[in-house]
Amino acid sequence: MASKKILLVDDSCTARLVNRMIFSQKSNYVLLSASDGKEAVDTARREKPDLILMDIVMPRMTGLEACRVLKKDSETSRIPVILLTTRGEEQYVQEGYASGCSDYLTKPVNDTELLDLLQAYLGE
Amino acid sequence: MIGTGNGSHPPAKGKSRAASRNESSAVVAQAQELRRHTHQLSLRDQIERNHFLLKRLNAASVRLIQALEDGDVYPAIGEIIANLVGSEEVAIFHYDTSDQSFSLAWSWGIDEETLQQFATGAGLIGRAARQGATQFRDRVTDIPLRHHEQNLTACVVLKSSGEVVGVIPILGLLPQKNGLEWADFELLKFLETYGAVAVQFQRLRDNPVAQ
Repeated sequence: MASKKILLVDDSCTARLVNRMIFSQKSNYVLLSASDGKEAVDTARREKPDLILMDIVMPRMTGLEACRVLKKDSETSRIPVILLTTRGEEQYVQEGYASGCSDYLTKPVNDTELLDLLQAYLGE
Repeated sequence: MIGTGNGSHPPAKGKSRAASRNESSAVVAQAQELRRHTHQLSLRDQIERNHFLLKRLNAASVRLIQALEDGDVYPAIGEIIANLVGSEEVAIFHYDTSDQSFSLAWSWGIDEETLQQFATGAGLIGRAARQGATQFRDRVTDIPLRHHEQNLTACVVLKSSGEVVGVIPILGLLPQKNGLEWADFELLKFLETYGAVAVQFQRLRDNPVAQ
């Protein structure tokens, strides 16, 4: 089976590290990373990942803005975007879905929940 | 066909006992299998819990090492607490044992007045430094909490070579967190020791002559 590409987007190096460690349990994922929304959009256009896992509060371009840009672009609009953020309040969740994200998870991340969600989207 | 006696009639008494013996054996075997399976699940759970913790400790440790290189130890500790424990209201105070004073090194999400109150050393932050032991708000029953401690979760003591070098007050947890969990306590223990070493490293870097 071909490896699936996942783009991890977070300005927190700690968050990227822990997510990498969670995904390392599954050997068939190729992990790409970006540290803000702008870099995420550029990387997504170039690499066409199978899924994007993205923080919301980031410098240069937030996760919400990046999600809107990705969803408007025919080259990237089909890529599922999961927002993963510390902001668990209802208002943020609604804003997340309004930006076009496929799912919304809150930090600190639950490994099983995250891996199950990934499997659901990546069809394994 | 009528009265052939080969299975279409109720079983004889002897046969019934044999059947119930078989049934009992099956029940015992099922119970044994269930116990074996439950034990296996429990063993698996132990390994998975350990793995869950090690991933987080590993991420925290790698982040601290990067912070030594980049000179951003304080934000790195804040990042570890935000992403792995779940609080965006954190301060890091240096502690001077000679005069038992606190000085603010870094903070995130806490207002100025609250920070000033912590800097006086009043309440649990002072107790953490004097006793050299992390204070958890939920476990404190012998003294009333002060106004600035109403939203406090813990005062994590930073100890290097047995000496208290600082305290990290952690205030409110993220709304989706119901409280500290077992892995959080382990992470905070990690910060007590290795966060302290990193803070000392940063102080030497920031102020080599004074140290």
